[in-house]
Amino acid sequence: MIKTNLIKAAATLCVAAATLTSSVHAADTVKVGVLHSLSGTMAISETSLRDVLLFTFDEINKSGGVMGQMIEPVVVDGASNWPLFAEKAKQLLEVDKTAVTFGCWTSVSRKSVLPVYEKNNGLLFYPVQYEGEELSKNIFYTAEAVGQQATPAVDYLLAEGKKKFYLLGSDYVYPQTTNLVLLEYLLSKGVPIANIGGGLSKDKAGKVISAGKYTPFGHTDYQQIVAEIKKFAASGDACVVSTLNGDTNVPFFKEYAAAGLTAEDCPVVSFSISEDEFRGLPADQLVGQLGCWTYFQSIESPANKKFIGDFMSWLKTTEVPGIQKEGRVTCSPMVLSYAGVYLWKAAVEEAKSFDVDKVRKVLESGKISFDGPGGTVTMQKNHHLTKNVYIGETTKDGQFKILKSFDNVYGEPFLKGTFKTSSPAKGETTKKKKKAA
Amino acid sequence: MRAAILMKQFALALLMWLGCQNLSLAQGLPDAAVRQQLIEAVLAEGEDQPEKIEALAETGSGMVAAVLAQWRAGNLLVDASPDGAKVLFTREGIDAVRLDTGVKFSPLAPREVETTSKTRKAIKNALDLIAVASPDPELRSAAIGKLGMTRNTDYLPMLEARQVKESDPGVRKALVEAISVMQLADEDDVVCIAAVRKLGEMRSIPSLDLLKGMITSEDESEAAKAEAAKSVALIESYLKKVEAAGTVFRGLSAGSVLLVVALGLAITFGLMGVINMAHGEMMAVGAYTTYMVQNIFGGGLTLSLFGFGAHVPGMNLTGAAYQSYFIWAVPASFLMAALVGIALERGVIRFLYKRPLESLLATWGISLILQQLFRLVFGPNNVQVSSPSYLSGSFVIHDVVLGYNRVFVIGFAIAIVFVTWLLLTKTSLGLFIRAVMQNRMMASCMGVRTERVNMLTFGFGSGLAGLGGAFLSQLGNVGPNLGQSYIVDSFMTVVVGGVGNLIGTICSAIGIGTVDQTLQSVTDPSMGKIITLSTIILFLLLRPGGLFPTRTRSLEG
Repeated sequence: MIKTNLIKAAATLCVAAATLTSSVHAADTVKVGVLHSLSGTMAISETSLRDVLLFTFDEINKSGGVMGQMIEPVVVDGASNWPLFAEKAKQLLEVDKTAVTFGCWTSVSRKSVLPVYEKNNGLLFYPVQYEGEELSKNIFYTAEAVGQQATPAVDYLLAEGKKKFYLLGSDYVYPQTTNLVLLEYLLSKGVPIANIGGGLSKDKAGKVISAGKYTPFGHTDYQQIVAEIKKFAASGDACVVSTLNGDTNVPFFKEYAAAGLTAEDCPVVSFSISEDEFRGLPADQLVGQLGCWTYFQSIESPANKKFIGDFMSWLKTTEVPGIQKEGRVTCSPMVLSYAGVYLWKAAVEEAKSFDVDKVRKVLESGKISFDGPGGTVTMQKNHHLTKNVYIGETTKDGQFKILKSFDNVYGEPFLKGTFKTSSPAKGETTKKKKKAA
Repeated sequence: MRAAILMKQFALALLMWLGCQNLSLAQGLPDAAVRQQLIEAVLAEGEDQPEKIEALAETGSGMVAAVLAQWRAGNLLVDASPDGAKVLFTREGIDAVRLDTGVKFSPLAPREVETTSKTRKAIKNALDLIAVASPDPELRSAAIGKLGMTRNTDYLPMLEARQVKESDPGVRKALVEAISVMQLADEDDVVCIAAVRKLGEMRSIPSLDLLKGMITSEDESEAAKAEAAKSVALIESYLKKVEAAGTVFRGLSAGSVLLVVALGLAITFGLMGVINMAHGEMMAVGAYTTYMVQNIFGGGLTLSLFGFGAHVPGMNLTGAAYQSYFIWAVPASFLMAALVGIALERGVIRFLYKRPLESLLATWGISLILQQLFRLVFGPNNVQVSSPSYLSGSFVIHDVVLGYNRVFVIGFAIAIVFVTWLLLTKTSLGLFIRAVMQNRMMASCMGVRTERVNMLTFGFGSGLAGLGGAFLSQLGNVGPNLGQSYIVDSFMTVVVGGVGNLIGTICSAIGIGTVDQTLQSVTDPSMGKIITLSTIILFLLLRPGGLFPTRTRSLEG
């Protein structure tokens, strides 16, 4: 009798303990989704974001978690397959019930998960420079908007005395849209249309539907385009604005250098090459060419030094399988992912809840900001960030030397159609003649 | 080329500085005074800083050029000395050299001397002004050209003075062009019209935009406008010729690239009839071999072989010895790819000669295995293959830019076609190859060791693919997917040329290359590709056998 009682008591205790631990466990963690391509063509870029996110979660967990709850990452692989992204997003929201998701790189993957997040009222933080023209109530864009990358770069080039702009890009939505915005912007700055290279195509009504030169992904032969740029730049004061993606940059820059074009005479400003891309690009062929991002690894600030140091030592000790430990760098999309997590944390703590609607309300208040490695970023009402923009020059070790910075640039997704074409400035010949007349 | 000029400019400036350090007296100003003037210009903060910088050029001191070049490269630093004065210094390797005295010292809290776009422009102009007096004619022309395009008439007297002394014809031409460009803004209409005419006669492409601007300008006289229109027409017709010649050259070089990648396939697929989907990976083998050779000549590399890091020591060569790596990489990549090809033939393909469909599937599988192997050994990222100096750069004939790498690929294609032709027609192996390909049974009956011939032929075809890969490493990416981007082009070239016919492959490669480049120049790259591919489909519908169909009586075809 005693024995059975004992067994019963022990059993109850076990059950009680089990329920207790499980309930403690459940109360102590919050599930957070990571949705990036860990295989396929985009894996090279996106795995770095997975790495930095896991690092951020560890860092937050070490200092007590979010509202006392540990972050439990749910990592899923979008596999560079856009419909799969939507399926994985659905899984994160409906099966795993994650409080928030950090993810996506390409615009097409974001567009593919957008309806899923809107339907389930989820929360997604998107960290990679994009073309704008979108604002979902369920997505927060820590990414650079066109006004935080393309237009400051053009401002810089104009200040450097550049008068002719050649637009070149990979053939997909981000370059096409960015260049259309840039075309309007350049015209509004008084650059005559004849000085914008790459060609224009118009629809029947005469509206410009595409500006600039586009090459397919994986294009290898840039002879003709470089010859065109050479001709375009013959009269001096020209530059190239490039939204070429990924490894097509290699044949382009090899051809560019072979044709005798240099950063001195005709600099190329690229919006898709960050420090991380230089791990697979010959940096020595790009020395002196320009980049424009809201973060560079070379930023000299205590916050950045700490971030880089912590990330590098985390890489050395982490036991997550498949993380490349050698030759790692930090770059803008990584830092914007990092900032995204902290912004979400701050909002949750302010709202005292993980509820999406409450968190969104706090984020939209405009009071949530984070002192990150790239300077202070503040979430705006329109789901974009106010942040610093930096222009840098490529050095031969694949880093950027900062030439100019613009502080606290407002993130505006809807730029198309906001610039008014001003009448082109008169040619210099005209001005000089005046003293004779 | 310009980069090379800049390097030269810099090296020269440094040399001149070394030479001039004690000789500044001979150049007019004492060294200390020049240094003082330099420091003043660097530390000036007002509006007149650009003027002060440009005034430095008049000292004619080589040291000034060297310091300005350092400044521009971000190597001019400032250090606060204990008494609060600013100490400027430059970095010479690990040493810091004081600008005011020229002696080494150790800075306390150095920071870079900041430049704005205005100062950088002034530095650039000052360097150009100094380079006008450089002993190298190429540097002189480049500097004069740049000064001309600034259209700052302040430089005009200096350029005119230079014109009197100048003897080099190339530099004289640059001077005339620069002076004419400046004279376009002259108050005197006669001078202006003469300059317009001169630029037209010179077919000056850089001044085209300026002349076009004059035609529509309201401030120009009718005579000047008419003359400008004439000159513009002259230059534009010249430009058309330049573009046509450029397109032909680019077409030839694009065709040569196609030929280099397709010639190996013309042998394995065309002659032997093996649908070799792993052809692209043979190219990748060649490209990775080039990468290995490069690193063995340089600092060595670490390969990860199934989880174990294997370090290959490097020879740590520099300069010309390192640059020669590519010459060794070419035969090495041929051998490597040939060996892999032979292994492939012995291991898999020889069992499948009678079953073409299975050989397609098997070789495709092998191509996937090889791609994954590259990923495991060399990592998923692209690897960097640098271009040796003799392959980067270009020369210009009548404004047509001929890149060294492009000229080289044309020569390379001619060479391998010639070697292949020699092998097939002038050697006994070639005779056997042709015999086996025409009629295997009969050749075997005549005592030809067909197995061995098959092996060597496949090895040779793969080796050619390896050569193609070695060359592609100079034009584009080297990565696990390298083969994938060229396999379709290779098959296209061979099929259009006519399977089994090397001459056909040559003609189709050059043809497709030229058509593609011409279309690219009139439409855009995506459209060019679409039109090329549609044309090929149409062509193959009309002539299924390709350009030069092989006529045969044998039933196995």
